[in-house]
Amino acid sequence: MDAAYNLARWLVRDDHDAQDVVQEAYLRAFRFAAGFRGGDPRAWILAIVRNTAFTWLKRNRSESPTEFDEKIHGGSTEEIGLEADAVRNADGAMIRAALDELTDEFREVIVMRDIEGLSYKEIADAADVPIGTVMSRLARARGKLARSLQGRIGKER
Amino acid sequence: MNCDDARVLMHGHLDGELELADDLEVQRHIEDCPRCMREYAALRAMHSRLKDEAFRFEAPATLKEKIRRSLPAAAMSRSNGYQARRGAWVQRTARFAVPMAIGAMLALIIAPRAMAPAINQQLANQVVASHVRSLMATHLMDVASTDQHTVKPWFNGKLDFSPPVNDFVKDGFPLVGGRLDYIEGRPVAALVYQHGKHVINVFMWPTTGAATSAERIETEHGYNVEQLTVAGMNCWVVSDLNQMELDKFANLIRAKG
Repeated sequence: MDAAYNLARWLVRDDHDAQDVVQEAYLRAFRFAAGFRGGDPRAWILAIVRNTAFTWLKRNRSESPTEFDEKIHGGSTEEIGLEADAVRNADGAMIRAALDELTDEFREVIVMRDIEGLSYKEIADAADVPIGTVMSRLARARGKLARSLQGRIGKER
Repeated sequence: MNCDDARVLMHGHLDGELELADDLEVQRHIEDCPRCMREYAALRAMHSRLKDEAFRFEAPATLKEKIRRSLPAAAMSRSNGYQARRGAWVQRTARFAVPMAIGAMLALIIAPRAMAPAINQQLANQVVASHVRSLMATHLMDVASTDQHTVKPWFNGKLDFSPPVNDFVKDGFPLVGGRLDYIEGRPVAALVYQHGKHVINVFMWPTTGAATSAERIETEHGYNVEQLTVAGMNCWVVSDLNQMELDKFANLIRAKG
């Protein structure tokens, strides 16, 4: 359940709202328990948490959910080379702020893979994308996050 | 391999998700291309930064309680729906199936993830080791008896406490015997139960200090371990039995305690 809460918390970005989302997700999971066809229960429950979170965002937040557009987010991003030192010098608050700024689809793959430690297969199941898409989306998400951190570090100096 | 491909594939390399051939090819490219090597080093640094527990939000304890309380309520409304729409026999099935589903959900989803870190790892290792040893050597039982009134008195004079001994043969978990064991630097009672071909060891000794009645479930080397506190006894249940059945067994013990 920590995984469920962690994902919800990163997606809706508020403790109280995340608790509501997780509770609703568990009730849904329970109602649809018969629909569970085996496989990884963690990916299954995370898929429900994710869908509940997105529905919740659409209903309760005036901001329109970030429509994911492969064309906009695709292609090679800024051609700035990455430096490991910039990432090492970023503090926790900076990393959190940079993560919060990512689109939901980018943030969730980083939360699932880097923070939660899910495999590509589990991410594919939870985020409902083909397994072949996981790596390319993760590549773009991490690239954006690292460049954003580098930009923040640069501004501080 | 060109840089564009490598800049995607290096993520699979970092995550250990590539086929061997691709993995080696990316590795070679990274080593040969200074730009990609820097990029990879930065990504690896970021990946290890993000693994920090500080970025992982832990679910509040109150939430776990809230969900635990709300699930059975949902189960009730669900079985009522069945009753209205279908015959009484379906209701019987639902009455049986729904608690099973709750048990499975709690066991699969909430318990191992949420509670596993809290278990005393060293102690869990010890009881599993004792369990395995008891099966390897011809030392499963010192007293072989299905009679609780034979097993319980046998511990007299061998331990400075009297463990609760119950037979659960009616529920499919017959008592088969007991023995002395040694856990955490003290002699403990080990009760042996059977379920089908599975052997269950129950280790018991009096609790010291802060006793917790919270149940903790953990999988250790493929064995399921459950810890509970019953009648002032620290109680560890170990078996190769699946988690749901072991949970059922633990509930029997708890009910008697």
